[in-house]
Amino acid sequence: MSLIDLTSMAEPDEEEQEKIEETLEGLKEDIPDLCYQCGKCTSGCEAFILLELEPHSIMGKSKAGFIDELVNSDEIWTCMQCFKCQERCPQDLSPVRVIFALKNLAVAAGKEIPSGYQKMLQSVLGNGLIQQPKEVLNRANETRKREDLDLPPVPEPEDMDKVQQILMKATQEKLR
Amino acid sequence: MKELGLYLGCVIPTEQYGYEMSIREVLPKFDIELVDLEESTCCGAPLRNVNMFTTMYLSARNMALCEKKGIDLYAPCPICHLGLTEAKESLEENPELKDKINSKLEEEDLQYEGSTELYHTLDLLHDEIGLDEIEDQVEEPLDDLTFAAHYGCNTIRPNDLDRPDDSENPQKLEELMETIGIGTEDYPEKLDCCGGQVISDHNESALTKAGEKIEAVQDQGFDGLSTICPWGHRMLDSKQDSAADTIGESLDLPVMYYIQLLGVAMGIEQSRLGLELNLSPVDNLEAIESIEEAE
Ligand code: SF4
Ligand code: SF4
Repeated sequence: MSLIDLTSMAEPDEEEQEKIEETLEGLKEDIPDLCYQCGKCTSGCEAFILLELEPHSIMGKSKAGFIDELVNSDEIWTCMQCFKCQERCPQDLSPVRVIFALKNLAVAAGKEIPSGYQKMLQSVLGNGLIQQPKEVLNRANETRKREDLDLPPVPEPEDMDKVQQILMKATQEKLR
Repeated sequence: MKELGLYLGCVIPTEQYGYEMSIREVLPKFDIELVDLEESTCCGAPLRNVNMFTTMYLSARNMALCEKKGIDLYAPCPICHLGLTEAKESLEENPELKDKINSKLEEEDLQYEGSTELYHTLDLLHDEIGLDEIEDQVEEPLDDLTFAAHYGCNTIRPNDLDRPDDSENPQKLEELMETIGIGTEDYPEKLDCCGGQVISDHNESALTKAGEKIEAVQDQGFDGLSTICPWGHRMLDSKQDSAADTIGESLDLPVMYYIQLLGVAMGIEQSRLGLELNLSPVDNLEAIESIEEAE
């Protein structure tokens, strides 16, 4: 089952939908009033110049209740996860964690998510890792695999089928 | 002899082989026995973007593997180390969530208590092994070199979780370099992000971040850059050529994992440290053998 199937399962489910609404409410309460839109988070944001991410405006929009707009935006997927916004916030708020929560909501609501994350999840469901072992090049352009370098086999759960089943269920769970 | 579960995560065992090789070569010389975690998986941190519960489950599962063996966990990747730290703290605060996760782990006969201590390369070398012990094992100090430090965002932030070094003014990597003879100093871009975590969906922006950081280090006259993060090393070393093309500059900065530098200073055979796999021109440095010499 692909992530698309997993996430689309969540769509028609009313109970699921309700849970999402609750999370949205929770998010509004958390952020909030404390953010006075000083913009310090954005001034140090690693994704601001190149990808136009503005964590302060994400905080502002969340506070104003425009969660749906954010969940549907491409903006939330540009965060580099550097945690500088949280470091800089004079109010001890964490825009990056709000962005994580928004991304989780996007997935739970069955939105199309960037292909990189879809591939990662699919790979984890396959053998437990976000990517498969690669043949790499050395400086002389010769290929090297783990075994060429005397490295042991890459780790993998003995019962990967079981882990996969657990993971499929886990991706349907909400944290809040 | 201290036993530690070697938790490699995803990026190290699937492509950053030089980090793994040098870890396996260097740490046992400090009386550390690395125990492979054959059944480990992704730590879950990259999946925070998709589903937090999955992240917690995977992190707890990997820590439970160590608990089963009764050993502490060593995660050489700061992103894994952060993911595991966050899961550990969340599960401590939220017994209900812990129960829920344990009911899933039970299916594999695993149990998560929360007793595992977590280490990263930085605190393991600096705080556990210690600078004196490291100095004792240096055979050929790298006195002629001046290197810049790249910590990696997740090594030092967020500041509300236990991190291997200070979020504003980390100095442990510099101290470790000085211990093996390397000169170093702070530079304005030291805490800048390499862009690594958006490489798959925003390739050009990620490579621009990496390229700009490499250029800044190069322009300030450092001989090289020392890393402790496989995501950062991938951007700054493995992808240095693409980063150069992206920003339209010529880049030729030697980038090495700190533990590779340490191995060289300890006189360990260089072919055992995976140095052929550094794609930046590390053999511009006199102390580093060219590929032909290493063969
Ligand atoms: S730094 Fe904090 S208070 Fe200022 S805008 Fe950002 S989240 Fe709001
Ligand atoms: S964590 Fe994301 S939002 Fe926060 S400063 Fe870094 S890139 Fe910007």
